[in-house]
Amino acid sequence: MATLSTDLNYLQGKKGLFSWIFSVDHKRIGLLYLYALITFFLVGVTLGILMRLELLNPGKDLLEAQTYNQIFTLHGVIMIFLFIIPSIPAVFGNFFLPIMLGTDDVSFPRLNLLSWWIYIIGAIMALSTLIFGDGPADTGWTFYAPYSVKTGTNVTMSVLAAFVLGFSSILTGLNFIVTIHRLRTPGMTFLKMPLFAWALYATSWIQLLATPIIGITLMMIVAERFFGVGLFDPSIGGDPILYQHLFWIYSHPAVYIMALPAFGIISELLPTFARRTIFGYKAIAFSSLAIAFVGYFIWGHHMFTSGMSGTGRFIFSILTFLVAIPTAIKVFNWVATLYKGSIHVHTPLLYALAFIFQFMIGGFTGLLLGALATDIHLHDTYFVVGHFHYVMFGGTGFAFFGALHYWFPKIWGKMYNAKVANTAFTLLFIGFNTLYFPMLIAGLMGMPRRYYDYLPEFHLPNMISTFGSWILAVGLILMLGNLIYAYFKSKDKPGRNPWGGITLEWQTQSPPPVQNFDRMPELPKNGPYDFEHKPTIKE
Amino acid sequence: MEHASGFVLPNSGHNRDAEASKMGMWLFLFTELLLFGGLFIVYMVYRMINHEAFLLSSFELDVTMGTINTVVLLVSSMTIAMSITAIQKGNIKLSVNLLYATLAAAIIFMVIKYFEWSSKIHHGLFPGMDYYESLPKGEGLFFYLYFFMTGLHALHIIIGAVIIGVVIYRTKKGLVTSEKYTLTENAGLYWHLVDLIWIYLFPLFYLIH
Amino acid sequence: MENKNLHNTENHKEHHISSYKDHFSTLLALLLLTVVTVVVSVFGADLRSLSVATALLIATVKVVVVAYYFMHLKYDMKLYTWLVVLVAVLFVAFTALTSIEYFNR
Repeated sequence: MATLSTDLNYLQGKKGLFSWIFSVDHKRIGLLYLYALITFFLVGVTLGILMRLELLNPGKDLLEAQTYNQIFTLHGVIMIFLFIIPSIPAVFGNFFLPIMLGTDDVSFPRLNLLSWWIYIIGAIMALSTLIFGDGPADTGWTFYAPYSVKTGTNVTMSVLAAFVLGFSSILTGLNFIVTIHRLRTPGMTFLKMPLFAWALYATSWIQLLATPIIGITLMMIVAERFFGVGLFDPSIGGDPILYQHLFWIYSHPAVYIMALPAFGIISELLPTFARRTIFGYKAIAFSSLAIAFVGYFIWGHHMFTSGMSGTGRFIFSILTFLVAIPTAIKVFNWVATLYKGSIHVHTPLLYALAFIFQFMIGGFTGLLLGALATDIHLHDTYFVVGHFHYVMFGGTGFAFFGALHYWFPKIWGKMYNAKVANTAFTLLFIGFNTLYFPMLIAGLMGMPRRYYDYLPEFHLPNMISTFGSWILAVGLILMLGNLIYAYFKSKDKPGRNPWGGITLEWQTQSPPPVQNFDRMPELPKNGPYDFEHKPTIKE
Repeated sequence: MEHASGFVLPNSGHNRDAEASKMGMWLFLFTELLLFGGLFIVYMVYRMINHEAFLLSSFELDVTMGTINTVVLLVSSMTIAMSITAIQKGNIKLSVNLLYATLAAAIIFMVIKYFEWSSKIHHGLFPGMDYYESLPKGEGLFFYLYFFMTGLHALHIIIGAVIIGVVIYRTKKGLVTSEKYTLTENAGLYWHLVDLIWIYLFPLFYLIH
Repeated sequence: MENKNLHNTENHKEHHISSYKDHFSTLLALLLLTVVTVVVSVFGADLRSLSVATALLIATVKVVVVAYYFMHLKYDMKLYTWLVVLVAVLFVAFTALTSIEYFNR
């Protein structure tokens, strides 16, 4: 293989569009994902803001009922399949997993590129429903039968898009598992891996083993629409609830595809900014696996009011409570990591702390929904909407932004303006909570979800919520603007290790050279967060 | 990969790693297993709800043809396993011939399948046909699942046959040797998976009366 | 360019080469099991529920034989066997939970 100069980093060297979209370098592929993801995220945000505008006042203001149904479906499909499921693994996993393991790429670099292409094809298919056919699906992102089989909108294309995107997710997971098994640097045993790698490992197993089930389920929907004969049609002996079972056998574990990588990010941020070893390394590592495992068996809690048997509901409720245990273990360990640490407050840490706060709210509201008695009242209300936005946006979304601020200097070799970043964070934090907390209250009051209209008694929480969405939008614009400005204009070179981290990515240049390292990375003596025996990192 | 500064990273994603390829293949097989797994769950539930209808419908299927196909697939599994042994021992010609035998088995399987399917379609049992629509509650589901599952399985047979074709081509070109036979191994794993799924499909559709 | 994963404990020492004879014996065993399952099903039709269980049990034995000998699990690193077991456990758990739900409707 040709000897490449280490003077060139991965951003230099070959230039031009084709050198990127056909690159097999995991760092470039990570950035390809980043640009695509941010684009789709902004589309999703715009749709969300439109929905909030419609809900500002009771009655029809802006959108027709049917348009509203299509918009919330597309918002869900984009945010879940195009943004949050790939988000952290595809961007930061791709970019940093090989570097953190001390190797030069993932195990199957070309397969990695293929995953990105499949992702893009799926994304184009999902968005094409806006233009072609009879408009985007109006079923909600769950595509529940029998409505998804009967509706005249373009469900087939949306469903096929989800199928294709699932393929991309499977291949990424497969690649990461093999990479972690085969390419760890000498001396890095499984128990000396950074916790981000552990989180990705657990995530990858879910991607690999859960996604095929939704793949085949969605194919059944397509076949039904194609043949015009129902497989879930009760009049011929079928059962629509079976569709819900199959759908959630994937889609509940998928919640952990979204959450586990975020846990990994938090486990990286806290030790770095507390300058001490993580509390309970093994507990955090194994609780990821435990969450992944238990997460497979609790899908039924999405269907408590669907007409499941009492025994079924009882079992699924108990299993649901089990998953809270490993999650709580993580939170306790994170908080304990901060205790007596030498805490350096920088923007990424703020995001991590906000994550813990918001994820706790998301988690506890989740327990209310997992309990049978309370769920009967809360099911399909705005309480559910508030709950999962706290988990996904307040949790994973904030972890994603935290990771972006943490690794920004490493990825581009430039530093952003910290003051602006902190202001943007504050706006995001206030905006987020103003947007979603009133939803919890509206839900408790009994406001149902998925309607373009509501009764006048829900006006106040909805109004506050919509104001919150504006603050959030300003925060987002400021945050992205700050980063984009830094990317083009910043003269501030952060050097190898701006935060004082000790995982391997901080030992190489910023931005990293094509082969990731310009000298042999050095492992800390006792595990990845051993700040007492940290390797000295010279510029 | 070598660096200008003169050190070599001990592990590289760009090196050939036979074990990694095999691991990747196994992981891929897991996804295939669960893909069919979803269908098996549907089958199980509908069999539970429509017990009598499923029993009656299964008598429509031809046990003899099903058995012959089972035997064909089992034999093909052996030939491809032997082909790996042959390539490991450096016997290229035997390896290729055994692959041809596997390919032939795949074709025989598909021909038998074709006759089975066309006789069912002739009777109007394909979803959407008039006779199908008139079937009593539950029986339609049996045939729906029969066509869906054996159809998806047949698709896998075709993909497997194409893969075997590629292995034959590359072996003949000398790209697969007794040192470097991961391709044959992985093709074998895939083909065995196709066999595994049939081992369950056969009793579930043809035998359980 | 061979892989240099010197440290990697997951490398097995040498490749086991199965003999043609072993493969043939495996096939004979599989054919025998097929005959048994067909006979049980066709002639044991009055023992209906038993024949369902038997047929699935025999199929599982066949699957294990294929995986263990043809797919080389016997000679590969143990990791693969454990992963296959994991996938099997997962699938059985899916079916078990679903059937408990439906049985109690």
